[in-house]
Amino acid sequence: MLISAGFVALVVIALTTAYFVAWALTQIGMAGIAGLSMWRHQRRHSRRAMALVDRISLPLVSIVVPARNEELTIVESLRGLLAFDYPREIVVVNDGSSDGTLALLQRTFQLLPAPLAYLQPLPTARVRGIYRSAADPALVVVDKESAGSKSDASNAGINAASGELVLVMDADTVLAPDALSRAVLPFLEDRSTIAAGSDVMIVNGSIVDHGRVTNVALPRSWFARLQIVEYMRAFRLFRAACASFNGLLILSGAFALFRRDAVIAVGGYDATAIGEDMDLTVRLQKHFRRRREPFRIVFVPSPLCFTQAPEDWISLRSQRLRWRRGLLQVLWRHRGMIGNPRFGVVGVIMLPYTVVFEGLAPLLELSSYAVTTAVFLTGGLDLRHYVLIVLIWTFFGTAVSMIAVLLNDVATGKYMRGADLPRLIAVALIENYGYRQLNAWWGCVGTVQAITGTGGWGTMKRRAFAGAGVPQA
Amino acid sequence: MISDNAVFSHLAPSIAWLAVSLAASATLAVVVERGLQGLRQVRQRRLEQRYTPVVRRALVGDAAAERALVDCPRRDRIDVAVLLVTPLIDDRESWRIARTREIFTAMSLVAEAERFLDSRLWWRRAIALRALGLLQSRAHTGHIVAALDDANIDVRAAALDALADLHDPASLPALVVRLLDTTLPYGRRVDALSAFGSAAEPLLVELSTLDTTHHVAYARALSVCGTAASRELLCEWTTDPTAEVRAAAFVALAHVGLDDRCVELAVRALDVDVPVVRAAAARALHGWTGAPDIASHLTRHLDDTWAVAVAAARTLQSMVPAGLEALRGCAPRTDLAGLLARQMLWEAHAAC
Repeated sequence: MLISAGFVALVVIALTTAYFVAWALTQIGMAGIAGLSMWRHQRRHSRRAMALVDRISLPLVSIVVPARNEELTIVESLRGLLAFDYPREIVVVNDGSSDGTLALLQRTFQLLPAPLAYLQPLPTARVRGIYRSAADPALVVVDKESAGSKSDASNAGINAASGELVLVMDADTVLAPDALSRAVLPFLEDRSTIAAGSDVMIVNGSIVDHGRVTNVALPRSWFARLQIVEYMRAFRLFRAACASFNGLLILSGAFALFRRDAVIAVGGYDATAIGEDMDLTVRLQKHFRRRREPFRIVFVPSPLCFTQAPEDWISLRSQRLRWRRGLLQVLWRHRGMIGNPRFGVVGVIMLPYTVVFEGLAPLLELSSYAVTTAVFLTGGLDLRHYVLIVLIWTFFGTAVSMIAVLLNDVATGKYMRGADLPRLIAVALIENYGYRQLNAWWGCVGTVQAITGTGGWGTMKRRAFAGAGVPQA
Repeated sequence: MISDNAVFSHLAPSIAWLAVSLAASATLAVVVERGLQGLRQVRQRRLEQRYTPVVRRALVGDAAAERALVDCPRRDRIDVAVLLVTPLIDDRESWRIARTREIFTAMSLVAEAERFLDSRLWWRRAIALRALGLLQSRAHTGHIVAALDDANIDVRAAALDALADLHDPASLPALVVRLLDTTLPYGRRVDALSAFGSAAEPLLVELSTLDTTHHVAYARALSVCGTAASRELLCEWTTDPTAEVRAAAFVALAHVGLDDRCVELAVRALDVDVPVVRAAAARALHGWTGAPDIASHLTRHLDDTWAVAVAAARTLQSMVPAGLEALRGCAPRTDLAGLLARQMLWEAHAAC
C-alpha cells in the first residue's frame, strides 16, 4: 500500500513537472514566433507605410463605449476620444447606471434628446432614450435598461453605430493618440481583415491628462506591477504569437475593432456569455472557417490602449473568477471545434492548447504544489529534491516572464526608466511565490463556480485617472 | 522514497538547471537589450544633433554643408540618408525633392539604394524602393515597376508606395493593369492610382473597353480618379445587366458629377427592384439642386429598405432647400420615414 502511494505520488510529481516544462517550452517557442512577428511588424510599418492613412479616404469608425456606473472615468475617456481627428462617431451606451453617469454626461457634453434612426439587427434590452451632444453631434448616448451584461450594452451600441468599423472598448479605457489610424491600417491594407485587437497596457501609475496618457510609468503598487507582467505575457507573447497564424481566440474587451457586418453576421455579443469578448472572437473564427471565407483577425503589437487594473484583492478575485468562468464556458460551448480539423489551426492547435494549458492549468498547478509538499512533509521526498522542484516551478515561470518583458521592451520601450527594469525582474521572480498560487486557487474556485453555475459579474473599484502632475498611487 | 528513484534523481537536477539557465539567460537578454536600446537612442540623438542643421543648410544650397554630408563617415551615411528622406513623406514640395535627390546623388546614396534593390533581404529592398519613390527618381521607374512582382508582399507594398510618390506617367499602365491584382495590398493600389488623379482616366477608359468582364473594378477606379470625361461611359454602365456594375457606376457618377441625363438615369434607377442599385442611385443624387421634383422622388423612398431609406434621407438633407422642405413634410410621420426625417433635420440644425 505504502509503495503504491509512493508510486502514485511519483507519477503525479513527474507528470505535473513535465506539464510545467511543456508549458514553459511552448511559451518560449511562442515567444520566438511573437518576436518574429513583432520584428516583421516594425520593419513593415515604416513611417511611409503608415502614411497610407493620411492619403486615402478612411472608413468611419464608430466607437462603442458601454458604460455602467462609470462616473469616475467616463468624462476623461470621452474627452480623449473626442480629441481624435480621425473620422469617428462615439456611441456611449448608458447601461442602466445607478450612479450619476448619465447626468454627468448630460451636463458635461450638453446632451439633448435627439432622433436617431437605426436598424436593430441585434436584440437588446429596451432603449429608454437617445441623446446627442450639442457641442459635438458625433457623440451619441444611448440610454438603455440594463440586461445585466456588457454584451447587451455593446450590442445596443453596435446597432446604433453607423460606421463600417466598430471599436468596442471599456469606459475606462484610454486610447493612444494614434490608436485608430494604427488599428485601421490592417483593414485598409487587406480587405479580408474582419477584426483587430492590440496590446493593452495598464494605466495604473501613469498620468492621464485630458483623456490621453502623457506619461507611462510603473505603478507604486506591487499588486498592479504583478498584473503588468501578467499582461505582458498575455499580450506581447501569447496573443502576438496566436495572431501570426490567424489563430487568435480572444480580442480584449478593452480594445477590439471589428467590421460591423462581420459582428452582425455572427449575432453580435452573446448576452449569456461570461467571457463575451472571447466568445465573440471564437464565433467569428468558427463562422468564417466553416464557410471557408478568407478572413484575418489581426493583432497590432503596439500599445494602442490603456486600462485600469484592480488594486485590491476583492476586485482582482472577482475579475479572475469571471475570466475563469468565461474561459470554461467558451471552451464548453465550442467543444465541437476542439481537435476538429475543419476549423484549421484554431481547431487543431489553439483550442487544444487552451484546454491543456489554460483550462487545466489551475487544477494541475495546485495539485502539483499540494502533492509535492505533502510528499515532502511526509518524508517521501528529501529537501534537496523538493528545492529542485520548487526551482523548476519558479525559474521556468521567471524565464517566460522575462522573455515577455524583453518583447515588451522591443515592442514599446515602456516601463524601462530608472529602476523599472530591476523592479520588473523582481516581479518576475516574486510572482511565483504566492501570487501565482493564489491565481491557481482562484482558477479552481472559478472552475467550481462554472460547474455549479454560481458566481456573479462582481464589481471593480474604479479610480479617477491621475491627472497631470498627480501620479497615481 | 521518491528521491531514491534513479530516473527522478537524475532528471530533477537537469531540469532545474535548465530552468535556472533559461531564467538567467532571459534576464541577461533583457539587460543587454535595454543597454543596446539605450546606446542606440544616444547615438541617434547625437547624430540628429550633429546632422540636422547640416542637412537643413545643404537643402537651401549651402555648398559647404553639402560637402560635409558627402564627407560624412561611412557608418553615419544610412542615418543621414534617413534624415534627408523622411521629411519627404509629408513635404512633397518639388524643390525639396529635387535638392534632396541632388544631395543623395552627391553622397553616392543612390548607388547604395541600387545595391539594396538587389539585396536578398526583403526589408532592404523595401527601404530602397520607398526612398527612390520619395526622391522621385524616375531613372528607377523600371526597377520599381518590376518590384510589383516581387515574391515578398511587403516589397510589393513598398513598390506601390514608391509609385504613388514617384508620380511617373510611365508607370501608369503597369498600375492600371494591376488594378485587379489581389496579390497587391488593396489600400495601396487605391492610393497609387489616386496619386495620378485624372491622368489615369484615359487609360482606365481604354482598358475597360477591352476588358468587359471587370467593369465593377473599373467603375470603382473611376470613382477615385474619374472626371466628367468618363461620364458617358458610366451612364452606359448604369444600364448594365449586372446589378453590381450598375451600383458601382452610380457611385462613380457621384464622384465625377451629374448632368441632366445622369439625373434622369438615377431617378429611373430609384425604382428598380435591386436595393443596392436604388441606394447607389439615391446617393449619386447627393447635393443635386437642379430639378425640383427630385426631392419628391427621394421622399417616396424614405420608408424603403434600410440602406435605400438612409441614402435617400442623406441626399435629401444635402438638397437645400427642396430636400429639407421635403424632410419637414415627412417629420410628423410615425414610421421610419418620419424618424429619418427628424434625424436629418436635427443634424442639419446642429450643423448650423
